[in-house]
Amino acid sequence: MGDRAGGFFSVAFAVAGRQVYKYFANPAFLAPAFFPLFFFVAFAGGLTRVGDVPGFDYTGGYVAFQYVWALLQAVAMGGAFTGFSIAGDFENGFARRLLLAASNRQGIILGYTIASLVRATMTGVLVTVIALFAGIPMSGGFDLFGLIGLAILVNVAATLFGAGVAMLLRTQQAGPVIRTPIFLVLFLAPVFVPLNLLRGWLETIARLNPFTTILDAARGFLVGTPTSVLPAYAIGVALVAVFALWAAYALRRAEKTGA
Amino acid sequence: MAAPGSARAGIQVEDLVREFKKGPRAVDGIDLYVEPGEIYGFLGPNGAGKSTTVLMLTTLLPPTSGAARVAGYDVVKEGSKVRAAIGAALQEAALDPFLTGREHLSLQAALHGLGRKERKKRGAELLERVGLVEAADRRVRGYSGGMKRRLDLALALVHEPRILFLDEPTTGLDPQSRSALWSEVSRLARDEGVTVFLTTQYLEEADVLADRVGIIDRGKIVAEGTPEKLKAEIGRPSVEATPAEGSGRDAVARVLSRFGEEIAAQSGAVSVRLDHGAGDLADVVRTLDSEGVRVTNLRLDEPSLDDVFLEKTGRSLEGEAEHEGEAEGSPEEARA
Repeated sequence: MGDRAGGFFSVAFAVAGRQVYKYFANPAFLAPAFFPLFFFVAFAGGLTRVGDVPGFDYTGGYVAFQYVWALLQAVAMGGAFTGFSIAGDFENGFARRLLLAASNRQGIILGYTIASLVRATMTGVLVTVIALFAGIPMSGGFDLFGLIGLAILVNVAATLFGAGVAMLLRTQQAGPVIRTPIFLVLFLAPVFVPLNLLRGWLETIARLNPFTTILDAARGFLVGTPTSVLPAYAIGVALVAVFALWAAYALRRAEKTGA
Repeated sequence: MAAPGSARAGIQVEDLVREFKKGPRAVDGIDLYVEPGEIYGFLGPNGAGKSTTVLMLTTLLPPTSGAARVAGYDVVKEGSKVRAAIGAALQEAALDPFLTGREHLSLQAALHGLGRKERKKRGAELLERVGLVEAADRRVRGYSGGMKRRLDLALALVHEPRILFLDEPTTGLDPQSRSALWSEVSRLARDEGVTVFLTTQYLEEADVLADRVGIIDRGKIVAEGTPEKLKAEIGRPSVEATPAEGSGRDAVARVLSRFGEEIAAQSGAVSVRLDHGAGDLADVVRTLDSEGVRVTNLRLDEPSLDDVFLEKTGRSLEGEAEHEGEAEGSPEEARA
């Protein structure tokens, strides 16, 4: 008998493996894409004429303008749904098994994050396929990798935020607490028209919202005219760093009070 | 004391305390030592502090104060080493209803860093050992309570732990499953040298399985020792006789009083604590016969662990065990 302990990555891959397996065993794993798809179909379909408004200068057209937001919303909601899963694991006691078996408990957070990325990839692909059918141009070439990179950062940041809330509250009641701030950040940005067409309090808030910079850069990548790349990536990386600390803090709290 | 991490290291606890925000101390300064390879029964009613102690020893809940070393490692400062050395089947089997038994074992093995081939082999071995081969590929949501308990035990053994924590492992099990689990626990300690820390509210379980027993009540250990020693400490066996028709209670009491002090008995019966132990029984029978005092029932009662509990706390454990509603001081309370 020798003491058997999985390292940081063993734990992470084990946790991720279970989550991913569960996604594929249950079609509901695509649920995070439903809202973005609904918004995309409703707004891109119903508001196409917004693209003709003077001052609307996005070269990809209105459908592409909406697609980028729908994509980022889908990956962000993928992170939120992972938070719901974590909260569920704490509520039904499964998290206790993970905490008990994991030699390195930080690996649990990485595991959920990897699983969230897999889920976001699936939902992102679904949104993109539908957008391609709707006729969006993909003229960005290699710049599209910039868009993918930002989508990854948004997903990871949302996952870590959700994980933190889930581990602090350790109940499925955490759902609204995870979802509401993510929705607010996503909607208080230039969702339907570019920033220069917004007016009043919404314009002020959108300018202050760090997600606006990410959204602008992502839209630029899609059409091959990157803008605000550095600030967007800096914000994305900063959000990931801050929420990684937040998740680690929440894990410590869960350990202290008993999972 | 054995070197940290050595196979000779068991469990050492000194003045361990756990307080929750609301309510009294769930664990109130306990000391205990469990020898390597020993089965230690931690006996007490619901809410006594058994599960809270297990949560602390398995690094799932930090102590408020005091110290505990498991497998030679400090549970607070060396939690990851403790977790590598222990296996635990807690009170509620934390299983994912969407995974099968085999998938659970694979996940648990992966968490402990076992390679793919080893995971498969170990999983098959344990499924065989706990009798779940046929149900191995069924989702756990369809398992009975007994099957879940057996799977939980298998999960705790995946990485061949040196120390096994079993928190009320047989609660809710049918007699057959209970007996099978007892056999397996005994085998683990006897054949594999696994140290077992077993909490239970069943006296028989502690009596049958445990090398030594610690009795906890209201967060404090009130008695500790081998079951035999604890029972011997509280006194001698008693004999209870029920008079037959025609032989009055007084006649029976007169005869029995020559063999010891009268104690409380069932309605209509007479009971005495035998001055010279069970050896007096033959004399009791001879005297009753020679004096023509007829009895319908004569019973020798050896002291039980419940008598020990009664002696130490003034309450009966068997009665307390039925009060399932009294929740143990739990982490949920800590959130309040």
